[in-house]
Amino acid sequence: MSNVSVKVLLFATFRKKYGSKELTIECDGTLKGLIESASRILGGEFYSDVYNSERGMVRDDLIFTVNGRNIKDLKGDIELKDGDVVAIFPPLAGGINSSKLIEV
Amino acid sequence: MLGGYMGRILKVDLTAGTLKSELISEDIAKKYLGGKGYAVYILYNYLKEYESKGISPSDINPLGPENVLIFATGPGTGVPGFPCSGRYHVMALRSPLTGSIGSANSGGEWGPFLKFSGYDMIVVEGASEDPVYLSIVNGVAELRSAGDLWGKNVFDTCRILSRRVGGKNTSVACIGPAGENLVRMACIVNDEHRAAGRTGLGAVMGSKKLKAIVVSGDEKVPVANPDEFREVSRRCLETMRKNRVTGEGLPTYGTSILINVINTAGGLPYKNWQTGVNPYADKISGETLAETYLTGRRACWGCTIGCGRVTSVPSGPFQIIGTEGPEYESIWALGGSTGVKDLDAIVKANHYCDEFGMDPISLGSTIAAAMELYERGYIPKEDLQGLDLRFGNSAALVEAVWRTAYRVGFGKYLALGSKKLCEIYGHPELSMSVKGLEMPAYDPRAMKGIGLEYATANRGGCHVTGYTVSAEILGIPEKIDPLTPDGKAKWAKLFQDFTCVVNSTVNCLFSTFALGVKDYADLLSAVTGWSLSDGEILRIGERIYNLERVIINRLGFDGKDDTLPRRLLEEPMPEGPAKGHVVELDKMKEEYYKLRGWVNGVPTADKLKELEIEL
Ligand code: SF4
Repeated sequence: MSNVSVKVLLFATFRKKYGSKELTIECDGTLKGLIESASRILGGEFYSDVYNSERGMVRDDLIFTVNGRNIKDLKGDIELKDGDVVAIFPPLAGGINSSKLIEV
Repeated sequence: MLGGYMGRILKVDLTAGTLKSELISEDIAKKYLGGKGYAVYILYNYLKEYESKGISPSDINPLGPENVLIFATGPGTGVPGFPCSGRYHVMALRSPLTGSIGSANSGGEWGPFLKFSGYDMIVVEGASEDPVYLSIVNGVAELRSAGDLWGKNVFDTCRILSRRVGGKNTSVACIGPAGENLVRMACIVNDEHRAAGRTGLGAVMGSKKLKAIVVSGDEKVPVANPDEFREVSRRCLETMRKNRVTGEGLPTYGTSILINVINTAGGLPYKNWQTGVNPYADKISGETLAETYLTGRRACWGCTIGCGRVTSVPSGPFQIIGTEGPEYESIWALGGSTGVKDLDAIVKANHYCDEFGMDPISLGSTIAAAMELYERGYIPKEDLQGLDLRFGNSAALVEAVWRTAYRVGFGKYLALGSKKLCEIYGHPELSMSVKGLEMPAYDPRAMKGIGLEYATANRGGCHVTGYTVSAEILGIPEKIDPLTPDGKAKWAKLFQDFTCVVNSTVNCLFSTFALGVKDYADLLSAVTGWSLSDGEILRIGERIYNLERVIINRLGFDGKDDTLPRRLLEEPMPEGPAKGHVVELDKMKEEYYKLRGWVNGVPTADKLKELEIEL
C-alpha cells in the first residue's frame, strides 16, 4: 500500500493532552497505520487512547470519523486516501454497553 | 399517602382571584404519572369542558383568559437520590407561538421547592386585571399584587421575591419584559438562568398578568418503599457515575461539546439552514468556550451531572460578568444559525435572553430567518430602522435581542416568531420551523431520524420530544447510521414514548444517556409503591403521547402538519458528509404511522382503546 497524507483533527480533552488541534499524518492508508504514525508524533499513550490492541480495532467508546462519517457506519475495510480528514473525539459517548434503553 | 406525591394540586382562577386545593387522583397518576402526563390529562378535560359549552378548540385564544397554564412536577421530582430530579414541566392548552399545545421543561430548584411547599402542581386559568404574583409558602398560597415588579427583568424579580419570602428552600419562576410584552417566544425563567424555554409560555403568563410564582417550604416527599428505593437509587447513581456521558462528558464539557461533533457530521445548520457545515464552528465550540469565558459549572437540585456552565466575558463591547450558559442550542441558534462567530457576542445575547425572558432557539432562528430575508432583498432596508441584519453581524444580533423583548422598531416583527415574520415578507418557506416552532440545532439531512422526530413532535420542531441523535450520532443505546431513513420510525417512536415518561417523572432527560426503561421502572416502583414493569412504563409513555396527539388534532393539527420545511425535503445538502442528501420524510412517516396506529396523524379508535384512553 502506498503512503497517503491524512489530516487528523483532535477535539475536547485530546487537544490539551496532546497540545495539538490539527496535524497532517503520512501513513499506509489503514486506520491502524494512521494511529501508529500519529503516535510517533504525539507519544505512545495516543496509541492506547485511540486503539484497542486486544481487539485489533479503534476503541469502541470514541467518536472516530473519516470525512465526517463515523467509522461504525462505514461498511468493509476502511482505506484512507490522500486528503482525507479524520476527526477523533475522546469518549464522550459511544459504545456504552450499560445504557440499554430497553432490556431485550 | 401516595409515595412520590405531595397529594395536592393548587387551582388558581386569576379572573376571580380564587385559590382552591384539589387532591391528586391515584387512578389518574397510575395512568399518566405526573408532570407532563398528568398535565396533558387535565388539559384534555378542559378542552372537553369547553366543547360541551360550545367553545370550539380553534376559538381558544392562546393569549386569552381561556388558555390554561399548568406547572407540574412528578413522583420523582424532589426525591433525594432520584437521579437528576430537579426539574418541572409547564404546559398550556395552546402556545401563542404555534397554536398547538404549549410544552416546556426547566431545571434549577423550582420544581423540588414547589413540592416542598406542599403541592405537586399548579393549574392556572383566567386572567388578572392587574399584575399579580402567586406565593406558596409551606402549604399557604396567596395571590399578591405585582405592581412593583411589573417591568422588572428576570434577575431583579427573582432576587426581590426570594428576599421577600426568605427561607431556605425558596425559588422564583417568573417572566421578564418579553413575557409582559407578549413576545411570542417569551419563556418562563426560574432561579435566574433556568428556563421553561419553548413554545412561548412566558407570553401566556404575561397575558394572564401573572408576573411570578414564588415557592418555599420544608415538607418532605414521601417514598413508599425507602429500603428498596435506597438500593435502586444507589445502583442508578453508580451507573451514571461510570457512564462516559453522564459521569464525564457532560460534567466536563457541558452540552456545547456537541458543536464540533455535530458539525463534523455535517449537521450543524449554518445561516438559516442553507448548509449543515459551519466553517467557524470551532470558534464557537465548547472547547473554545472552555478556553475563554468558562469560569465554573452549576447543577440543578439533586443532580450529580451538573452540566450548567458559569461564564464571564471580562472585557470588550460584549462584556458581561458572571452569567450562565450558553448551552449547545443557544450557541447554535444565536451563533451558528445567524452566522455570528464571535463567542463573546453569543454569550451576551444569551445573557439578554435570560434577563428579558426569551427562548434563544426560537429567537436566534427568527433573527436568522430575518437575515436571509434581508440578504435576499425581501425585507426593505427602511423596515429595519438602522439594524444591519446581515449574516455574521454580532452587533446587530445583540441589538436585535433587546429590540425583540421590548418590541421596538424591527423587534415588533421578530417578536412574532419566524413563521409569522416570513409570512409577512412573503416567503413562508424561509421559516425553519415545524408547526410554527423553530427547529433546534440538528439538520435532518445529515441525520434522518431527527427529521421524522421534528415532523411528528406534538409541540412542533423539537429535539427533546425524542432525541434520536443519541443513537444516530452518539451511539446510545446503539449506533445507527444517520444517513439512512431505514428503521428510524421505530427509534423515533421509542424515544418519544420514553421521553414522555421522563417528562412525567419529572427528572432530566440527560439521565437517559445512562439509565434505561428498566431503571425508570425500578425507581418509580420503589418511590410510588406500585409495581411497574418496563413494558408498563413505556405503555404509560405511549398513552401520554397519544392523548397529547388527540389534543393537537382537536386544535386542527394532523398529518398535513407532520412535515418539514421545503428546504430540508427538496434542497440537497450542498456540502459535507451528507452532501446530496434530503430527508425522505414520506417513507419514514408511513412506517411511523403504522407503528403508532395512526391514520394521517390521527390515532385510531382502536389505538386509543388499546391504550385505555377514554375520550
Ligand atoms: S444534567 Fe444538567 S440540566 Fe439536567 S438536571 Fe443536571 S444540571 Fe440540570
